[in-house]
Amino acid sequence: MNQLENPVQKLWQDQPVKEIKMPIEEIRRRAGRFERKIRWRNIREYVASLIAVGLFVYFLATSHDLLSRVTFALFIAAMLWIVVALHRKGSAKKLPEGADTLTSLRFYRAELERQREVVGNVWWWYLAPLVPGFVVYTIGYAVKFPRPAAWLGLALMDVIVAGMFYVIWRMNLRAARCLDKMITELNGAE
Amino acid sequence: MAASAQDELYAETAQTYGAAIERLARAYEADADLRRDLVQDIHVALWRSFAAFEGRCSLRTWLYRIAHNVGASHVLRQRRIRDQELVGLEELENLPDANGLQAADRSHALDRLLGLIQRLKPMDRHVILSYLEGLDAALIGEITGLSAANVATKVHRIKNMLARQFQLGGSAS
Repeated sequence: MNQLENPVQKLWQDQPVKEIKMPIEEIRRRAGRFERKIRWRNIREYVASLIAVGLFVYFLATSHDLLSRVTFALFIAAMLWIVVALHRKGSAKKLPEGADTLTSLRFYRAELERQREVVGNVWWWYLAPLVPGFVVYTIGYAVKFPRPAAWLGLALMDVIVAGMFYVIWRMNLRAARCLDKMITELNGAE
Repeated sequence: MAASAQDELYAETAQTYGAAIERLARAYEADADLRRDLVQDIHVALWRSFAAFEGRCSLRTWLYRIAHNVGASHVLRQRRIRDQELVGLEELENLPDANGLQAADRSHALDRLLGLIQRLKPMDRHVILSYLEGLDAALIGEITGLSAANVATKVHRIKNMLARQFQLGGSAS
């Protein structure tokens, strides 16, 4: 440490501090908890996707008409597409240990940009792949039950699904704007 | 790295730089409870990081890099909750003079210094903290990844700003 040239440095270094001592056992426990949390989060995401795919496979295997089979096959393909896209685009990277400040700030910015791309393009990787399944389902149901009451119910369901798509899309766009603001701030942080 | 070596490196660093970690945490978090959590996060990150430590830099450089990165990530996370705008050294340099806080006002001066530091953007905060900890320009460059010219410019600005805002019985060179 060099000789202090400025009295403010002395003021800073002489400030009273109360040191927190952490036993190694406590640190190991906390580090383990952190790693378990990350591992479980990843497992949860994949298990949820596998359950959804499993359900659709079951429906596919037990359905008897062609349009139902096509519907479930399209949903399975969409779910697999979403899982792969989430894995490719959504997996968080890890900052190399001991990285200097410049590297770490650039890393944080790249991570925010990646997250912005994920939420900003939610239509293309998450919502759009589900559309063909819903369209074929609607056609199949309308063909199978050619009654005005059934069609009304079907139209209501489609409106609800379209509404949910719209809400998901808007929420993700809002998240993208929030990330944009943070990226702009980080641009000047160096 | 063997677990015992990791433990030993951590224990040595925590023993030597425990007070510096506390001071850095004060610069990153004003709230006492959140600051205690932050200090613990830095200790955990430091211990974990030693599993990847290959001795390519000094323990001090390694410690400051880890501590600053945890601090910066804390500031960015808190930034989503608190709507406080962070500024650069240039803005602090242009603040009006404080008419010289005198030696008698040391506790006020420290509060004021912390207030100024806590407004800074991450990189400028790293540089001023490193300067206040007494690290030389070469070491500041090694910790931050900034070029020597960049560090020199920032340190010059810091000295100017401190000279204008504080007069504590010595001259800022």
